[in-house]
Amino acid sequence: MAIKQDPLWYKDAVIYQVHVRTFQDSNGDGIGDFPGLTQRIDYLQELGITAGWLMPFFPSPLRDDGYDIADYRSVHPSYGTLDDFKAFLASAHERGIRIIIELVLNHTSDQHPWFQESRSSRDNLKRDWYVWSETDNRYKGARIIFLDTEMSNWAWDPISKSYYWHRFFSHQPDLNYDNPEVREEIWQVMKFWLEMGVDGFRLDAVPYLVEREGTNCENLPETHAILKDFRLRLDKEFPGRMLLAEANQWPADLRPYFGDGDKFHMAFHFPLMPRMFMGLKLEDRKPITEILQQTPEIPSSCQWCLFLRNHDELTLEMVTDMERDYMYDSYAGSKGMRLNLGIRRRLASLLDNDRRRVELMNGMLMSLPGTPIIYYGDEIGMGDNIYLGDRNGVRTPMQWSGGWNAGFSTADPESLYSPLISNPVYGYQAVNVLSQKRSEHSLLSWMQRIIRVRRSTPVFGAGSIEFLYPANHRVLAYTRKLGNEVVLVVNNLSSAAQAVELDLKRYKGNLLIEMFGKNLFPRVGDLPYLLTMGPYQFYWFRLRRI
Amino acid sequence: MSAESVTQQRSVPPATEAKLAEESFLTDDLIRQLINVGEVDIVVGLPTHNNAKTVAPVLQAIQAGILKCFPRERVVIINADGGSRDGTPELITGASIDDVSHAYKLHALRTLHAISTQYGPTPANGPALRTILASADLLRAKACAVVAPEASTIDPEWIARLVRPIYQENFDLVAPVYQRHKFEGLLLKQLVYPMMRAIYGWKIREPFASEYAFSGRLGSEFLAQNHWEDDARRAGPEICLTISALSGNFRTCQTFLGAKTTADRSSADLVAALRQTVGALFSSLEPNFAIWSGINGSQAVPTMGPESEMTLEPLRVNRKRLREMFCSGVADLQSVFASILTPETLAQLQQVANCNEEEFHYPEELWVKTVYEFAASYHKAVISRDHIVQALAPLYRGRIFSFLAENRNASAEMMEAAMERLCSDFERLKPYLLEVWNGRK
Repeated sequence: MAIKQDPLWYKDAVIYQVHVRTFQDSNGDGIGDFPGLTQRIDYLQELGITAGWLMPFFPSPLRDDGYDIADYRSVHPSYGTLDDFKAFLASAHERGIRIIIELVLNHTSDQHPWFQESRSSRDNLKRDWYVWSETDNRYKGARIIFLDTEMSNWAWDPISKSYYWHRFFSHQPDLNYDNPEVREEIWQVMKFWLEMGVDGFRLDAVPYLVEREGTNCENLPETHAILKDFRLRLDKEFPGRMLLAEANQWPADLRPYFGDGDKFHMAFHFPLMPRMFMGLKLEDRKPITEILQQTPEIPSSCQWCLFLRNHDELTLEMVTDMERDYMYDSYAGSKGMRLNLGIRRRLASLLDNDRRRVELMNGMLMSLPGTPIIYYGDEIGMGDNIYLGDRNGVRTPMQWSGGWNAGFSTADPESLYSPLISNPVYGYQAVNVLSQKRSEHSLLSWMQRIIRVRRSTPVFGAGSIEFLYPANHRVLAYTRKLGNEVVLVVNNLSSAAQAVELDLKRYKGNLLIEMFGKNLFPRVGDLPYLLTMGPYQFYWFRLRRI
Repeated sequence: MSAESVTQQRSVPPATEAKLAEESFLTDDLIRQLINVGEVDIVVGLPTHNNAKTVAPVLQAIQAGILKCFPRERVVIINADGGSRDGTPELITGASIDDVSHAYKLHALRTLHAISTQYGPTPANGPALRTILASADLLRAKACAVVAPEASTIDPEWIARLVRPIYQENFDLVAPVYQRHKFEGLLLKQLVYPMMRAIYGWKIREPFASEYAFSGRLGSEFLAQNHWEDDARRAGPEICLTISALSGNFRTCQTFLGAKTTADRSSADLVAALRQTVGALFSSLEPNFAIWSGINGSQAVPTMGPESEMTLEPLRVNRKRLREMFCSGVADLQSVFASILTPETLAQLQQVANCNEEEFHYPEELWVKTVYEFAASYHKAVISRDHIVQALAPLYRGRIFSFLAENRNASAEMMEAAMERLCSDFERLKPYLLEVWNGRK
């Protein structure tokens, strides 16, 4: 299967997020690598995903799991070589899977040669590639993002005896995007990978590229101008490739990142994700409908990226204080589960390993407007280890089987990059791909089915949404519409069975066809359409007039 | 997706629906609304009848109280309406929570439903409370507060003060304590409170308040009692609920709510108020005889919250008319009183009626005996029970005239002491009640 030529491929995509290190070790050193990933590419094809998103795999001191890049044009030796990457890319493309790689634009590692040169002397040619200052009093309006570890956005450099600017960890100095040389060099980096064949970039921490006094140094017009310029070059030289923005912002602040369809193709909808969890716990659709009502329209060529969990903590930056307290109390009873302003847990453990809730959340993920992203391991219900530091608890090795090192590596267990999950509930003996492949009722088999059903119609990727607001607030119902095709989605957020009356007058005469079993449901008439739903149940109906 | 789920369009013929509805005092429309609300933690009941002029700020205070004090709980406001013709239900169901969010700068975490139902052809407190109780029971509410639609002094904190003792401290009934003007609520102060206290042995200052709260447990038990068509319960269900709590195994407390400046709904019409309160109290005596006949003295109940300092506007009372109505009542109803009161009591009342205004004095002990003899006669049904209750009206007026004259310049402390003396008299003379009850006088 070859890659189809479709400039809007990302709108219909189902993306799988994976870190090379976590997936499969091919050489027995305890660390996942590109040859290992290539060995497992058939698994991804069987799952039904259409794109893979690789977390940073570049040379790095790994003080922030690769988000501290020390060389933009190579592969970290633990993960293989550039040729290994190329082989993986070709293998994925052969199976119709596009590959999105991650670039950290805002900052580098302090070990990057650019920074080493920049700090070496105030006269160095690369001195102005980073943001230096004689004082740490500049840009006071900028918030500190990593509150748990950083006291300031400025760090003292004892070598050049001045302060450098960093929005994240102090070992991650920000690049100076006011310098045209930096902008050009970053474009050359992007070009390097695009020429190799990657299908898109997930650009990390994009709101922070430029700093200006008297502002919060986020979402500045100068930042937007730079991003627009990158997009212009991309479209000109590499049409059909995609840019995905990582900007943890409110929807209204995110909207400018789409521009007029001339900046990012896609952006993460960060505020929706915690509200899906909140709605589920409250058994109330309000948080979900409220945030989607506040979500502005985006250009037709653009798309939201939706996710339930990812490699970071479940971020609670985009919620009110009251909502954050509620989320902590509901999903992070133990302090060890909390990190920064978020919760560092995986999907299954957040949902108490309740299959019905896992399915419902995935059902919403796959049917709300946007492109869904599945975090590796969540398709089999992997658990986490909150006793590992930082966010490492949700980055443990993929659980392939109940055998040696879960089938991840042949190395001594002690030498794995991370301990395996081994408790009786989520451990690899209980939760693994091999055993789930053997049952058509496993979570993995169910995930394959829902991905297949989602991909059976373009309405989920490109259709409009209209909420129905039945009087029963525990039910979240909406229609997705594209051309003449209409899909009705009904989600019961409650742990109890519910009856709901839906106003489907405008669809009078249509038959409802349940999309998983293809069974007929009664025709829509004049009266409200009554559905009874089991706990956490959801329906996808295709409406058909016949 | 489970296989047992079913779907159907509503295909029940209207005639069948009507027949089904006849068998329940809850309408199908209310049931449909309750299905949509689902299980809740707290119900706030709002009984109304033509309250469009006052209900909006009350509703807003309720909503603000919920958002502020119970943001995480599942709450529903249930309006039981007695057939308003001024758009009261529409005002309630149409009120936007957004207005409250903006006004009080509060964010709603979850959906707050406000539903409305009309409970019957004629407005009455009994069916209104029954509708609220049944709804709370079906929704499995842990706590239910009832708020009057004309509670002009309500503030959002009332909801917390009423509900918290139940929701967090496992009480079953929360009665309010209001700060009133010294001459307000006289029926309560001169009769209902002292007699209730003497009979049931608990010091509940407002046993028939228009704001109160109860637990799901108490609500369910009260709902299950089959006396909803009784006159007393139709008119004064609040006092019946209090009596149920006091006579059952329920934990009761009081909570300070602050000023109560709105006249009681009952006070505009004394006879109606007597039916609603004294009638209900008298009718409770017979079934609960075994409980109250052995009780001596009284105990305080826990009282929550800060007692607010507030000076209330003086209340004007037309004293002259009270005395005239007492005197004419004693004269006109002599034959009725002869069947209700003992000869000694009747003779003393006639003496009082013959006094001029300056010498007029209706002593506390005589008042207590009067009330107790009325209660005993109600028990024996010497004449129509409703007539007995009505006949108490002129005598009550005489007692109030006397009380007002004696306490014209009394301070709050002196008033409190006077009430305490009256309560003591009711308790001290309780054996007298047993005597007349058992027919030995």
